Formats: sequence, structure tokens, C-alpha cells
Amino acid sequence: MSTKLSLIAAAIMLPLTMSVNASAINQTKGDFEDKFRQLGQALPTPNVYRNAAGEPGAQYWQQKVDYKIKATLDEENRRLTAHQSISYKNNSPDTLKYLWLQLDQNIFKSDSIAELTSTVKTKLQSGPDKGKAKISLNTLRRQQFLDDTEMGYQIAKVKDNSGNALKATVVGTLMRIDLKKPLKPGKTAKFSMDFAFNIAEEDAVGARAGYEHFEKDGNDIFLLAQWFPRLAAYTDYEAWTNKAFLGSGEFTLEFGNYDVELTVPADHIVSATGELENASSVLTKTQRSRLEKAETSKRPVFIVTEEEALENEKEGSSKTKTWKFNAEKVRDFAWASSRKFIWDAKGYQQGGDDQPLVMAMSFFPVDGGDLWKKYSTESIVHTMEVYSRFSFDYPYPVAQSVNGPVGGMEYPMITFNGPRTELQDDGTRTYTQAEKRFLIGVVIHEVGHIYFPMIVNSDERQWTWMDEGLNSFLDGIAGREWDPTIPWGVEAQDIVPYMKSERQVPIMTQSDSILNFGRNAYAKPAVALNILREVILGRELFDFAFKEYAQRWKYKRPTPSDFFRTMEEASGVDLDWFWRGWFYSTDHVDISIDRVYKLRLDTKNPDIDYGRLRETELNKPVSQFVERNKAEGRELWVDKNQDVSDFYDDNDRFTVTNKERNSYNKFLKGLKPWERKTFERAVKEDKNYYVLEFSNLGGLVMPILLQLTYTDGTVEDKYIPAEIWRRSPKKVQKLIVTDKNKELKDISVDASWLTADIDVENNYYPRRIIPSRIEAYKSKKRDGKVNRDIMQDIKTELKKDEDKKEKPLTEDKK
Amino acid sequence: MRKLLLWLVCLMLTSAASAHQLKAAVTTVLFNDRTSNIEVMHRFYLHDAEHAVSHLFTKSPGRHNHADLISDKETQDTFADYVENQFKLETLTNKKLTLTSVGHQLDGQFFWVYQEINIPDSVKGLRMSHGALRDLWPAQVNMVNVEGKGKVKTLTFSGEDTWLQTKFETK
Repeated sequence: MSTKLSLIAAAIMLPLTMSVNASAINQTKGDFEDKFRQLGQALPTPNVYRNAAGEPGAQYWQQKVDYKIKATLDEENRRLTAHQSISYKNNSPDTLKYLWLQLDQNIFKSDSIAELTSTVKTKLQSGPDKGKAKISLNTLRRQQFLDDTEMGYQIAKVKDNSGNALKATVVGTLMRIDLKKPLKPGKTAKFSMDFAFNIAEEDAVGARAGYEHFEKDGNDIFLLAQWFPRLAAYTDYEAWTNKAFLGSGEFTLEFGNYDVELTVPADHIVSATGELENASSVLTKTQRSRLEKAETSKRPVFIVTEEEALENEKEGSSKTKTWKFNAEKVRDFAWASSRKFIWDAKGYQQGGDDQPLVMAMSFFPVDGGDLWKKYSTESIVHTMEVYSRFSFDYPYPVAQSVNGPVGGMEYPMITFNGPRTELQDDGTRTYTQAEKRFLIGVVIHEVGHIYFPMIVNSDERQWTWMDEGLNSFLDGIAGREWDPTIPWGVEAQDIVPYMKSERQVPIMTQSDSILNFGRNAYAKPAVALNILREVILGRELFDFAFKEYAQRWKYKRPTPSDFFRTMEEASGVDLDWFWRGWFYSTDHVDISIDRVYKLRLDTKNPDIDYGRLRETELNKPVSQFVERNKAEGRELWVDKNQDVSDFYDDNDRFTVTNKERNSYNKFLKGLKPWERKTFERAVKEDKNYYVLEFSNLGGLVMPILLQLTYTDGTVEDKYIPAEIWRRSPKKVQKLIVTDKNKELKDISVDASWLTADIDVENNYYPRRIIPSRIEAYKSKKRDGKVNRDIMQDIKTELKKDEDKKEKPLTEDKK
Repeated sequence: MRKLLLWLVCLMLTSAASAHQLKAAVTTVLFNDRTSNIEVMHRFYLHDAEHAVSHLFTKSPGRHNHADLISDKETQDTFADYVENQFKLETLTNKKLTLTSVGHQLDGQFFWVYQEINIPDSVKGLRMSHGALRDLWPAQVNMVNVEGKGKVKTLTFSGEDTWLQTKFETK
């Protein structure tokens, strides 16, 4: 068995090692690598749809898809049935014979690619003491749920506007609808269909939506997303984006308008993408007046209070109500429904012409507790305040946060967020500081996604980093403006273990093929952008360029090249090396300062230089041989025979004669006036010349952030742009000239840990011992105090004499 | 076909698919010549660690399920103990390397757990198992970087991985 395995392994290893480098430009001499080669060739050719500036081109187009949906939630059977009619406007220059739709619910079908290719990773060895293979209860629960529940869409009556049946072909998570006649540019196709599916139990299958059942009161929270057959995007760069849904690569869709009618049990509260159109028939008068009050309230106002929600969840209802929502210019529609919801709201008066008032609203069961009451809606408002500064005014009437079984997920105007409080035995609900940070962080992150990618509509199925990376970068900014002690992700140091690890793929990798998803698509791009902003471009240039990108692509569809080009074009800084290093490669940052040489300018004047040479000679350590002879009391011949001496006893080899002086004068005379002036000034100033030798061990070229400490105690920061590596990417030398009295004591590279340099030890000259975390921890522990957990220790009870283990508080204080 | 025993493990939480990172821990196994120790430094997201404790351990009555890693020393100790029991080290010849506990530390969004052992003679590689949090969340990925023995070696524990090993390059 094992021999077979190793044979296979050897066979597949071979092609891997051979298929390196298939670029059209090849460096075949020496080992030089052009880290600054322009990206031009790697990026798609600019055209009339996307220009070379990274802007939508003169003939940019995108399709428009409007939906009218009537859906009914069957609470008892956890099933959704619906009818939708779609209006598809072909703005492309192409004639379309068929349309592709995404059927994301089909991912749960047993014959989906995702299910068929899900793998187990376990070492199976036979023999009693080799350990057992594992299977989890969760895996079994999922299996059982999928066995018992028929998953995926049932689709019927696919018809065109005139009632003619259209041929629909399901291909896994996609469906092709063949049109009766080809859809010409500028024309609109209208068609409709019925569909239904059983809703997944989120906790059983793990998904981005689904229902959650509460055993205690028998009620559910329903989160409905990726719930209707949606038109796949038809684009200028990929035509139909009909790559199968495998789970990781989310989606990209078309903008359009939605009219959605949701029929749910009469006692449910519904939160959805869009504006509620029939408040008067689904909300009570009290609820409506509370909503109005919330518009100008300083703090969130309860539309449904905790008491009302608890009352509501006691009984069910066999009656139904229909909630009508309208949403304009959105790329998707999601919703949530439950009789468990507490609902609060607060108006965000952002001003401006687009959307002066946005209602920030939260929906959560009693489990949300004070955590949600205090922080969810406020976090929504804070997100809009910060993100709008980096992009554009929030353009929709509502921004919502809903608590349910999903940890964190985003859709236009609505987000799902997981953190909750814990019910204690005494009936109170508590949460930890970590949970609080987490709630604020996740709400910021998910509401931030309403900007990226719900408005700046990047293609998530291809490029996770374009929304997750940009959004993680921005949530770091918003988090720090909330409370800088909330650590949420953009510290360069945090990604060092990932950057030095072997298990990596470039950021520019299709979503479903990414290894180490969170670090690759969230943390690394977020840190990279933070470095770009704080270290390379500076805030002013970066923020200008980033805002330009957001505004150029608002309601449009950017690709990676549009981002790279815009950032470069708007900042006026060549960043091709940066994108190459951080986004196209798996290099890491490791810049080492290897050596420092101190040099002094020759004056050419023998009366000065010879004296210096003599001094140098005298400064050399005395020969140990001679020292030992002296110690043994050996008398020297010259001392014993002092009567015998000559010229050389009085004149050493550094004695200056007129021969040297003549040649010095000749040298001076031979200088042109400017040469002489320069030379004399340099001799007079007698500056210090230092040559610093750096090597780039990580491969990623970066600016060198130098910190020079002088013997007089002063410290100077010097920024050497990354371009220093352009002709010599592995090793460079840099000359630093300082005033005569400014002598270098030591030098460090990236002393503030801004660049994710993976090895700090080689960042110092002279070298310093950098203690490992354990060494640092042990030495810190010794000096006590700092590590005391006073918050905890203050609770310590004073113990009786016989218990000597715990020190009472009073003793500690001394 | 061989018959194998299937061992049922109780995962208590599902992995809600979510649009934020987490469920990922990093461990550095450092051969530190200065201290002659193999130093093991585990880094967990605070929030993950806290949830783990509240699901894995029941405390004294009245404080049931209340795990607080930032201010509760007992929670910190509990989690550190748990991690230390979940991480195992062996030589390539299956000789157990019993790590001693050094301590634990809060640092920003991370909780660190430290262990160490004297570097054994003529060690040519390591076998290890890292089960922390993986019995709670199927999505948990524990990445281990082995450093101080030439090029960094990375082992990634995910899915049903139990023991993984790495061999050092002979110089």
C-alpha cells in the first residue's frame, strides 16, 4: 500500500517542478530578476470598456436586471415558494441567444460539484495502536439533514412575456434559458418562473443563510439569501460569469430594481433589502410613530421592544401578512423573518443630495441582550461615517444588522451578524469584552461590505481579495476610530507567521483555489494596503487615489487591473513593483543590514594623511609575541646597543619628505577650478562616509526604513524608496554622509515594525539579540507588576492563616 | 478493503460560513540555540479561545458558561491547559517529547500559550499533532511554522489531520 502511494506521489511531483515560468519575457542570462518590470504585460489590454487609467472606458456598459418577486414562507415546513418575473436589458454590444442564471441553492444537492468534491483529510492506517479515523457528529448531522431534506431548487413554468414556455437547462448551480429569439443590443427580454426550495438549517449544513431553531420557545429565525434564481453577470471581461458555485467564490451580479412581496406569518417582523412600501398595513400605529421618532433620535429607538418580542414569541399565528419592499440600484436582495425579533432604529442624518437620511436598524432575539441594544445600530452608523469619507455617501435608505445563525454575511442594505450574550443561571445576560469587540468589529465589517462589493461591484467568484481585502483594510480604519484598543487586523506584525510560512498562494488566485483563505484574502491584502497608505504613498496620496477608485466604480464592475491602474494613475506613483510583490507573488519582506563600513576622505596632503596612517598603525593591537617577550623580561638588542643607531631610528616609514609635498602641489595645480573648490571644501568639512550594505532575503522589494542613532544620542529617520533595489534586487550598498561630529552608533531597519519584515534580528547593526517570545515572557515575568491581572486579583478574598498558597491583597500592595 | 475503526468525535459548534476571518491559529516551534530549547508558541484569536472555553468547560455553579479571557484568570488557565493537552510532539522515531508549560499571555487580539523542552540530541525532524479547537469547529486550521532548523517548515492541521511530520534538511 505505502509503496504504491509513494510512486504516485513521485509521478505528480515531476510536472509541478517543470512548469515554472511561462512568461513571454524571459531573463535567461544570470540570475537577475526585474522586480520592477512593468505590469503592462500581466494586465489585460486597455480597451473602450476599461481604459488604461483604470477607469470605466468611453463605451463602458453593464446589463440591467429588474425583478418582481412574490414569495411565501411556509414556516411549518421551512419551505419557500415564489414566483418571479424578470426584465433583462441587454446593454452589451453582443446579441444573446441564451441567458445564464445562478442557482446557488443547488450547491446542497448531492450531485453538486461542491458535494461530490468535498474531501476528507485523514491518515488511515490499520493496526490496533495506529489510532482511529475520525468522523464528527457535525459531519453526521449534516449528512442526516441532507438525507432527510430534499435540497435545491424546484423550478417550473419558465415562460416568456407572451406565455411561451422557454427551454431551461440546469447545469449544477447554473441554469441556461434559451430565448425564443436572440436578444439584440439595447433590447429587453422579459420572462418569469415559479420556484421553490426547502430552507437549509444553517447550524446543520453551514451556509450563508438558513433557519435557526430555538428549542426553548419552538420558534425560528429565518435568514433568506441567495434564495432566488439570479441572473449571472454578463461582462466585457469574461462574458457570462458562469463559473460553478463551489462555496468559497461568492458571486457577482447585475444592478437593477426589485419589487418584492414577502408573505410570512402575521406575527413575524421582516427585515429586507429595500424600503418598506406598505408600513401602514404591516406595522402598528405605535410602531410607525416610533420609527418616525427614531429618525431624529440621538440613540436607537425600539420599534419592537424586548417585552413585545417576548410576548410575540409565546404564541404563533396561522394568519399571514405580506410585506412589500422596493429596492433600487441593488445587485441582490436578502431578507430575514422571525417572531423573535426585537427591532431598534436610529436615523443617520448624513446630509448631501443622494440620501440625506439613512435608517440604521437592528433586528435581534432576546439573546442579543444589551450587547445588541447598545452597540449594533451605533456600529452601523459609525461604519457609514468612516466608509463614506473613503468613498461616497451611503446611497440607500436603510442599513441593517440582523442577528441569526450566520456569523457574518453581507447583502445590499442588510447584514447578518452572529455574536450574542450568554444567559447566566441568575437570569442575567452577560458578555465578555472580547465578544463586545467582536460584535462591533463584525457589524463594521459586514456593513462595510455594502460599499464593497455591493456597490463597488467586484467579482467575488474570481477575486475574494477585492472585497474582503479592501473591506478588512477599511474596517481596520473604522475600528481604530471607534476605539484604538479594538485590534482588528491591519497590523503588519500579525501576518508575519503567514508570510514566512510555506503554505501560500499569491493573492491573485481564484477564490475557490485559495489556500489559507482568511490570511490570503483578508489579512494580507489589508496589511498590504495599510503599508501602501502609511509607509509608501502617505495618507494624502493614498486616500485621494482610493476615493477615486471607489467613485469611479460606484455601481459599476471593477477588475483587479482597474484597481491597480487607478491607484497608480491617481497617486502618480509607479506601484507595479508593489502589486507584483504583494499581489502576484508569494515573496515576503526580509531586509537585512549586513555590514557598515566607515570611510574617511584622503586629503592627499602628505603632512595630514601620513600622520593619519601612523595613527592607524599605532592603534593596532600590540603583537602578543612582543608583549610576552616583555613580560618574560627579554631585553631588546636595540636597547642593549643604544650607541649604534642611524637615520631610521629617528624617522619611521610615515615620515614625509619634499618628494611627497611636491607631488601634492602638482596634484593641486592639476585640478580645474571647480575640482579644487570641491576638493578643498570636502577636506575642510572632513565628513564621515558610511557605506551600508543591505540584502533582500525575502525577495519582496520594499522601501528601506532606516533609523540612524548617533553617538551624541540623536536619532534620525531616513526613507529609502523601494527603487533602490531596481538594478540589484538581492544586495545593495548605500552611502550615507554625516557631519564630522555626527558619528553613527547604530542603525536599524524598520524599527517600528511597519513592513511585516519576518526576521527582526538582522534589522540591526550592530546585531542585537532579539529574544524569542518565550524569552521575553520569562524576563517580563521576573520583573513582576506589569503582568498582574489587577482586575482579577482585586476580587481575591483575604484567606486565613492556614492557607499559605494565595497571597492576600493587602500583602501584595506593599 | 481494510476495515478500520471509525471514531466519533463530538464537535459542539458548527462553522457558520462567515465573511470574516478567524478560526485560525498559528504555532511557532522554534529551535532556540540560545536557550537550548524547543520553544512552542501558540497564538489564538481571543474570541475563538473564549468561545472554546465556554463550550468545553463548565465551571462552578452560577458561573456556568461564562468564559472571559480578558479579565478572568481561571478562564486563561483553563484554555492554556486545554491547548497544552492538545499539542503533542514526538521525534521521527515516535519518542514522546513531553513539553513543559511556560505560561500564557494576552496580547491585543491574540491569546498566546507557551511551552518548551530541551532540544533532544540529533533530532532529524519532528512529528506533531495539534488538535486545539479542531474538535470544536471543523473549519479550524492550525498552522505550525518550524523555525531555527534551516528553511521554515510549515505544517497545516485541518480537516481530520492527526499527526503530521517534517524532516530537517541535512546540512
